[in-house]
Amino acid sequence: MHKYVIRRLLLAIPVLLISSLIVFGLMRVMPGDALIALMGESGNIGQKELAKLRNDLGLDRPYHEQYLLWLWQMASFNPGDSIFTNEPIPVSLKKAIPVTLELAALAMILGISIAVPIGVLSATRQDTTADYAGRVVAVSGLSIPDFWLGTLVITFSAIWVHWIPPIGYVSFWDSPWRNLQQFLLPAAVLGYRLAAATMRMTRSTVLETLREDYVRTAWAKGLAGRIVVYKHALKNALIPVVTIIGGQLGTLLAGTFVIEQIFALPGMGRLTVEAILYRDYPVVQTNVMLVAATLVTLNLIVDLTYAWLDPRIRYQ
Amino acid sequence: MPRRDLTRRAFLKRVGWTSAGATTLLVGARPGRAASATSPYPDWIPASPKAPKRGGVLTRASAWDPPVLDPRLTQSVGLFQFAGLTSSRLIRYAFPDEATGTTDLTLKGDLAESWQSSTDNRVWTFKLRQGVKWQSVPPLNGRELTAADVKYCFEAYAKEGVQSFAFREIEGMETPDKYTLRVHLHTPNVLFPQNVAESVTVIFSREVLEEDGDLKKRLIGTGPYILKEHTRKVRVVLQRNPDYYDKGRPYVDEYVILSTPDAATRLAAFRTGQSDMIALASLSEVETVRKTNPAAVVQAYKNVLTPFGLALAQDKPPFNDVRVRRAISMAIDRQKQVDTVYEGHGILGWGVPYIYYQDTMPTASQLGPWWQYRPSEAKKLLTEAGHPNGFETTLFYYEYFPQMTSQVQLIQQELKKNLNINIKITKLDYTTYYGRYVEGKWDGMSWGFQSGHAVGLDERTYQYMHSKSTKNFFRVNDPLIDELTVKLRQTPDRAEQAKIAKRIVDREYDQVLRMWMPYDNGFLVLQPHVRNGGALAIRRTDAYGSPTIARLWLDK
Repeated sequence: MHKYVIRRLLLAIPVLLISSLIVFGLMRVMPGDALIALMGESGNIGQKELAKLRNDLGLDRPYHEQYLLWLWQMASFNPGDSIFTNEPIPVSLKKAIPVTLELAALAMILGISIAVPIGVLSATRQDTTADYAGRVVAVSGLSIPDFWLGTLVITFSAIWVHWIPPIGYVSFWDSPWRNLQQFLLPAAVLGYRLAAATMRMTRSTVLETLREDYVRTAWAKGLAGRIVVYKHALKNALIPVVTIIGGQLGTLLAGTFVIEQIFALPGMGRLTVEAILYRDYPVVQTNVMLVAATLVTLNLIVDLTYAWLDPRIRYQ
Repeated sequence: MPRRDLTRRAFLKRVGWTSAGATTLLVGARPGRAASATSPYPDWIPASPKAPKRGGVLTRASAWDPPVLDPRLTQSVGLFQFAGLTSSRLIRYAFPDEATGTTDLTLKGDLAESWQSSTDNRVWTFKLRQGVKWQSVPPLNGRELTAADVKYCFEAYAKEGVQSFAFREIEGMETPDKYTLRVHLHTPNVLFPQNVAESVTVIFSREVLEEDGDLKKRLIGTGPYILKEHTRKVRVVLQRNPDYYDKGRPYVDEYVILSTPDAATRLAAFRTGQSDMIALASLSEVETVRKTNPAAVVQAYKNVLTPFGLALAQDKPPFNDVRVRRAISMAIDRQKQVDTVYEGHGILGWGVPYIYYQDTMPTASQLGPWWQYRPSEAKKLLTEAGHPNGFETTLFYYEYFPQMTSQVQLIQQELKKNLNINIKITKLDYTTYYGRYVEGKWDGMSWGFQSGHAVGLDERTYQYMHSKSTKNFFRVNDPLIDELTVKLRQTPDRAEQAKIAKRIVDREYDQVLRMWMPYDNGFLVLQPHVRNGGALAIRRTDAYGSPTIARLWLDK
């Protein structure tokens, strides 16, 4: 197991290096730079002055020098400052990461706590109204884009109940109630997509497991339906579900980018979108690398979870 | 386990009925399109006759975030939606409770009590208000503002940053005493007071610049509000300055700007009372809001200029031929854009604010022959210019707002249909568009702009049209325009100024130097308890006209 983990961690290095090259290259291919964006609607800085500012920021150095410098900064955990705001990137991340983590965690909790019971219900009551309703909900969740659902939710909340989550982020520690008000609706929108995929997978794997011999034996022994389904069938049915949830983490993170815009939450998504628009190279590069590292780690955790769910699984 | 079987057919039938019901419900709830394109709302909200009340919190959901707090580095509306409240200017334009109407451009003293020029209009002397204190925040701690502070600030603007072009016309400054600033210009300019009254020419503090090396983190001024909090992408909180020189003002205790990038969320925030004002583009949007908020106060804003138009690479063929420019202009149906894209509530488009040369909004015929939609004559003219079969060209733009894409596509269709000009459109993100546009080396066409903040005539003419100006984005290079814009700055008589301004715009229309396009008039929608929040020409309360908020009060 230890060897497996070390090997996976070593494999992560080339993955991250390739990611770094891609994001660095893409940012340099895009025309314009942070200074142009900063000028806003004025545009009357002379070319000489622009050249001087670019020199001050190191934007006129050869690309390979810029890349190596950035790699060194990342390796030494000092990604530098934002070109656009001058704020040290770790400071920006310290503010943004908790917001995104809270949103993603709540979305996941909501998503899973809805998906698994409905998936089981759908499987155990196959071809009933409940099953069809569950499947419609699941297919809708997969089909409706986050941005559209988010906009609908906020618009119709305002029209029908005259309420929307309070705008202006407040941390959980400053005001737990206000913070929850701000996060529940966006987390529900985000969690819906996650729930949809998970619900479908839970339904099909539980259906499959319920037809296994050992489940039939459990029924024959006269065990209660609840015990058969939840104790014997569900645990074995969960392995593919966990895989699906692991695979959905990337989608979940991408979803936060959109949802944070709609619900005005100052998380990683808004930080990155703004940085891309303003060509704030260090911020975009650092954020993308952070997301890449997070996904690599989460995938490893998902793989390790299999052994906990099914002790027969061995890592080599 | 008991099962209640449901056939697919029965299930689909149920779903069908449910969907039909839901659709009916949604359609029923959807606000209808405005029945009439003519706005039923007034274009001016006069000052409230009631005695103002002190206190309360004004909140606004805003699309903009300040990129930085340094007014030397940006003219972004994100910063100037509040910088005019934290910081004063030497001179300002009249506020709504002083103005006679939206187009009243009377100059009033802000930090300066009076100002006058030498006979040759090269030296301007400003007498400062005495006893004005910087905000009681370290490192200023409420010390008195002096003429030396203003001198330092103007020198810093001239030295570097986006305002350097305007301030480099200053040859030198002297401060004969604590309250007198004498400004010597390189060339005569009767319009100089307008330039220092622009919303972006705020006076910042010497101490902060010297301590921090820039103004990116702290904004301390002498204005009616103190910047209490600026959390990027969350909120800006402004607190009433108790030491503001205009005693008794401002009325509102706190002004909170909530960063809200999504338009639907801003609208929802207004509907639910989380935001006290919102700017809307179309009449149908206003009608939608009025269904849930019938007491909302609406001002049908009337623009006096358009910031956008078709910019042609007029220093290169084929656009260096005036016949080609005229033909293109005549092949575009501007009224159709107003009627369809702006639901009838828009202006045809002109670049210099009309209020500087005539009292009423220009009619289509006043724009001259080349601005009328006459496709057959356009075709003849293009043939005369040697392009009987049209030509291929390009157009790049950034979508500032959704209507712009419709306008670009309409123009593409009309130029193809009427002149056989094939336009390849490229839609860019803001930074790419902006960088390419202001660099001024592009070919073909661009959806061009002029800055939104400028009120003054000097900025709208000399600074945007003179061939030597760094803000001449439309690449105008016309000897008569150069001559007239310089002459305008040397003409003190207002009536003469109006005549020269008219000659400038007539020349612009005749030579089609900047091909202005229709622009929406927009609406400013306020909660019913907001008083004195109406917007003035080129000074919208929620944007560059933010200093107005010093006179706004809440009737709760």
